[in-house]
Amino acid sequence: MLSRVADNLYWMSRYIERAEGMARMIQVHQNLALEYAQGDEQLAWFWKPVLQSICAEEFPAGPNEIKNLVKELVFSSGYENSIYSCISLARENARMVRDQLSEELWLELNNIYLFFRNGEADEVYQQGSDLLLDRITRFSLVFQGLADATIPHGEGWRFLSLGKYLERADQTSRMLDTLNLRDKEPTRADLMSVLRCCIALSAFRQQFRGNLSLQNVACFLLFSEDFPRSIRFCIRSIDHSLHAISGVPAGAFSNEAERLTGSTLAMVNFTDWSQVQAKGLHQTLDEFQSTLIEIGQRVFETYVLLPSEIKSLGERNIAQSAQAQQQQ
Amino acid sequence: MSNPCQFDGYKTDHFFDEMFAQGESLNPRTHYEKIYQRIDRLTEKEILERRQQADSSFLEHGITFTVYGDEGGTERIFPFDLIPRVIPESEWKIIESGLRQRMLALNLFLNDIYHGRKIIKDGVIPEEIVNSSKNYRPEMVDFEPPQGVYAHICGTDLIRDEDGKYLVLEDNARCPSGASYLLENREIMKRAFPQTFGGMSVRPVEAYPDLLLRTLEYLSPRKSQKPVCVLLTPGVYNSAYFEHTFLARQMGIEIVEGKDLIAIDSCIYMRTTRGLVQVDVIYRRLDDDYLDPLVFRQESMLGVSGLMDAYLKGNVALANAVGTGVADDKVTYAYVPEMIKYYLDQDPILDNVPTYLCWRDADRSHVLANLQSLVVKAANESGGYGMLIGSHSTAKEREEFARLIEKHPREYIAQPIVSLSRHPTFCEGGISGRHVDLRPFILHGEDIEIVPGGLTRVALREGSLVVNSSQGGGSKDTWVLKDF
Repeated sequence: MLSRVADNLYWMSRYIERAEGMARMIQVHQNLALEYAQGDEQLAWFWKPVLQSICAEEFPAGPNEIKNLVKELVFSSGYENSIYSCISLARENARMVRDQLSEELWLELNNIYLFFRNGEADEVYQQGSDLLLDRITRFSLVFQGLADATIPHGEGWRFLSLGKYLERADQTSRMLDTLNLRDKEPTRADLMSVLRCCIALSAFRQQFRGNLSLQNVACFLLFSEDFPRSIRFCIRSIDHSLHAISGVPAGAFSNEAERLTGSTLAMVNFTDWSQVQAKGLHQTLDEFQSTLIEIGQRVFETYVLLPSEIKSLGERNIAQSAQAQQQQ
Repeated sequence: MSNPCQFDGYKTDHFFDEMFAQGESLNPRTHYEKIYQRIDRLTEKEILERRQQADSSFLEHGITFTVYGDEGGTERIFPFDLIPRVIPESEWKIIESGLRQRMLALNLFLNDIYHGRKIIKDGVIPEEIVNSSKNYRPEMVDFEPPQGVYAHICGTDLIRDEDGKYLVLEDNARCPSGASYLLENREIMKRAFPQTFGGMSVRPVEAYPDLLLRTLEYLSPRKSQKPVCVLLTPGVYNSAYFEHTFLARQMGIEIVEGKDLIAIDSCIYMRTTRGLVQVDVIYRRLDDDYLDPLVFRQESMLGVSGLMDAYLKGNVALANAVGTGVADDKVTYAYVPEMIKYYLDQDPILDNVPTYLCWRDADRSHVLANLQSLVVKAANESGGYGMLIGSHSTAKEREEFARLIEKHPREYIAQPIVSLSRHPTFCEGGISGRHVDLRPFILHGEDIEIVPGGLTRVALREGSLVVNSSQGGGSKDTWVLKDF
């Protein structure tokens, strides 16, 4: 597969997962704010850590700005992580690899894009932001379902998986990190909102019988063996995709991306709450996020950038023909 | 309540109408009978439904083109009209043989121009015409292109005059576009009027991608293995990008951008996740100017450094060959009938539109004196840019063109305004006549192949003669009938 195509598929998938995460984050917090945050000041206090975690310092939120801000997070074309931007970027990437996508997959993505472009999204938002956010979440889930059901599970599909799970792991870690950004012990509402943002509430309840504590929530989202949004699950999926792409058996590695992912997976597999506590949850999550970024870079270097030897060969060639040109 | 018929009040005026013969009352030509009946009894609601279905189908599938100069590269759909153009087989046979003849002559001409130049030595075509053509490529002199063919894919625009006679308006022997619309339009029409379509024995067009791929594979320099063909696109912001992805997907070949390719030791490779893969044939949808910054435009970011070197050494094939633009130059066009006689010793089956060449003094004075009744065209432009239609122009525009012609006479040609044939078309306020042309696609591989019909383009603005998509044109499906 063309390197550029692999890159486009990877980013298309990441942006869609990102749009979904953003939609759910907004929806969950809007919903909980209704019960737990009365008055402007509380509202700002409630949103602050989430916004900090998602968009770093870009949105210093005053109490009155929350409403506008949420709208910005959905519609802004200037902010790269807004839902609209993510969808546009995903579609832009998809347009470059139309030949790799099934018609169903393209239609789903193009329709949500057109839905924004022709102003329908705005109308639906006026009727109630939930309606719009639901639609976006559903779009992403349908898209991912179609990707599994309508395209060959070959190399291209593996790059889709890579993008999806890297983005998802990043989001889960950011959501979990919001618990560290509160200036006091996380409340029941905080823990609930994190679980809901990761669609983990019912899965969590099954395992912990509603025993809502920071330790249980963190352990579940970090280490759950089989919950598809836990960091462990995501890293295992990344590891699996990388090995499927290279054909190298699990447990060995042929490039930096594989080595890094493999060692991170081993680390997650053999870590428990006491280690996390010793290091501090924030520090642990921070390290995860850096590792995820590095894995992304290594994937890019391995499969998209030309290995340096080839690159220099091409450049030498160019220099030679330029010379030959001048001599003519 | 009885429905009014769709064709009530339709007028052919003094034009040649594709559907109706001249006469007092509406009298559909025999080959149009069935589709006429079908459309005439459609209700407003049915029409609206079908139109919406077609429009949203184009938009949803991303069958769009990008309008240059519009803010943010707006994507638009190429407007589609539901009334198909119908061509009886007897007519098509003539068109087909005319196009075949023209394709042969153009390729012989290109071969001659880049080798020996007999046609010039024999005084049939003045040397300056060739040398001064913007698209003449001296790099190609004495080069043998794979299989000796230069123009593999040609889109020749045909029009019909007041008497319904087919004339060639221009040849597009560089990177003609529109084949994807031809294929998509057909899909939409089969869905919109399945019974009528089925009842009229329309010849299929779906073979185009296969024929195109065969044409490309035929050029491969490596015969020992299955050729690696790619489609080279300028990228996602090009107006025809949809077409590029569409054709690549239909042929099952990779669509690549310049940055996906690399030249090493005079061979071209594409960069894949598994390393470099050698490329044999490039269907390039990129003009010569942008192909290779080492040879042509240095600032081009779209091409591949070293591509020309690999091409001239015979390690990769290009379709079309470099330098074919000298054949579709609008000044060269005027000489195609002479070429046909010279190379094939035949009379042209399809005539040209009479053409005045502004670099000839006599022609120029005639043109300048009669701007109002002529169409002036820039010799090397395409897409309906750089064009003056005398009868639809203002005095200021005419002055502007007169100045341009005096300054660069070689760059301009003029033709009498042919009142193109009209075709019934859905417009605001009902069906009315709009001017149309026809672009068939001619493929020259081992044989010459033409899928029956082509893209019918229609000037949607009332009275307009410009059918280009960038200038408010739309398209129709073209039905060539079997054994009519």
